[in-house]
Amino acid sequence: MTQLDHGKFSKMTTTFHTLLALDVFVLFFSGYSLMFNDELWWMVGLMGGASGVSAVHRVAGGGLLALIVFWMLMMVTTDTGRGNFREILPSKGDFDAFIQDVQFLLGNVDERHPNARQFAGGTADEIPLLTYIGKGVVFIFAAELTLLSISGVLIWSKTGVISLLATKTAAAAFVTFHGLLGVIMLMGVIFHIFEHGFHPALYPVEVKAFIPRSMIPEEHDDSTEGTGIERLELAPSWNMASTVVGAMAVIGIVSVLLGSLFDEGYPVPRELAIGGGPTDVLLTVGINMGVFVLLLGLVLQMYGNLLRVRWQKQLEQEASEPTAAADGGRVESDD
Amino acid sequence: MSYREHLPETEGYPRAAIAINAVIAIAVTALILWWASEFAVFYENLFRIQPVAEGANAGVGSDWTSGNQIAWLDFLIAITHAADVLMGVFILFMMFLHWGAFRRLAARMRQPGDSGSSAVAADGGRVDDEASAGTDGDTAADGGERA
Repeated sequence: MTQLDHGKFSKMTTTFHTLLALDVFVLFFSGYSLMFNDELWWMVGLMGGASGVSAVHRVAGGGLLALIVFWMLMMVTTDTGRGNFREILPSKGDFDAFIQDVQFLLGNVDERHPNARQFAGGTADEIPLLTYIGKGVVFIFAAELTLLSISGVLIWSKTGVISLLATKTAAAAFVTFHGLLGVIMLMGVIFHIFEHGFHPALYPVEVKAFIPRSMIPEEHDDSTEGTGIERLELAPSWNMASTVVGAMAVIGIVSVLLGSLFDEGYPVPRELAIGGGPTDVLLTVGINMGVFVLLLGLVLQMYGNLLRVRWQKQLEQEASEPTAAADGGRVESDD
Repeated sequence: MSYREHLPETEGYPRAAIAINAVIAIAVTALILWWASEFAVFYENLFRIQPVAEGANAGVGSDWTSGNQIAWLDFLIAITHAADVLMGVFILFMMFLHWGAFRRLAARMRQPGDSGSSAVAADGGRVDDEASAGTDGDTAADGGERA
């Protein structure tokens, strides 16, 4: 069986990915403009102040609950779902891929492990459905989303937690817990955007997540050995773009991590902490950079969907115009 | 003629399952949120002073103080801070790992404006540049395939 190394997800999965991403971006923008309100004051204003932000966060939170319940049902009730679940279980190959990636970075090996390849150039038998990072993302995000949903439902109504734990401060603790838990997801998504938007062969977006496999031809000429990456031309803007966004992603991850350590929510302090000073300026810039990478992710995922629409139109056009060459051979596309 | 005729039959998810599960998911969500907001009937209680707390610190605001001293909640927050730091460091490591790997992969690709491979061979085919010929000398001398 030959199969392209991209476009392996079903239409349900790609659509779900888009909906989940949109919903999670809205949750990040609303949730972290509350948690980091000194740094993202402009975003609070943009969403209509504190009450506006909480309303946005609640609506998106309801959407997330529905998406998660739907996904779990799909994984349990359908054969495809149960089959895919086996595909994402970690294997020894994934651990080897991680080690080999470190070796690849150090220059000790010449190729990345098949379980690490985003741009593969092999058959589906050699290249697994997900890279080791992809599997990690699925597991970490699934655990995170579960805990965030549970803590989110608990603080849906503050009086609800109070009736369980009997004090207002305990409710504040759960709000803090919910926010701190999301920081892992926030940092992970910043990395996810860099990983899938700035691979040199796939820049600016990895279409695998957006074009379902039903729209990808099964056959392709694959006479060369190796990954074939040598035959691709690097985009002129890649160097600059990957450097700038890479730096912003690193600064953003460090800043939200530091911000989460400084912004203590529990135990609730006796005195009001008034921010200010040069370190806060740096933190403000850094957190805003992280948020900018998120915004870029939102734009790139819309672009991925735009590519899918264009690809579908092109396929429809090609289907309506016969493209056989005069000698009956196949006409090669010019890319 | 639909473009789908040229494309493979791939095993996706049954439409009925998607529709039924979507309806169930929305129903379950509505149920969870209804259950969660059920607690909120007496919202005004939140802002009432509760001077009836017992113990050494009894008095106005004592529930605030006692709620601020729940050890397991403090521990839960500390654990989450630790998890944030651990995962943050790990994610930063993965970030640099991929950044470096991407730079190495980019160096292998044809550089922008590299016109070497646009040459046309005598038979009209395209000349592959040195990349497929193997710059690192891994093509066997007898023209056979490398192991």
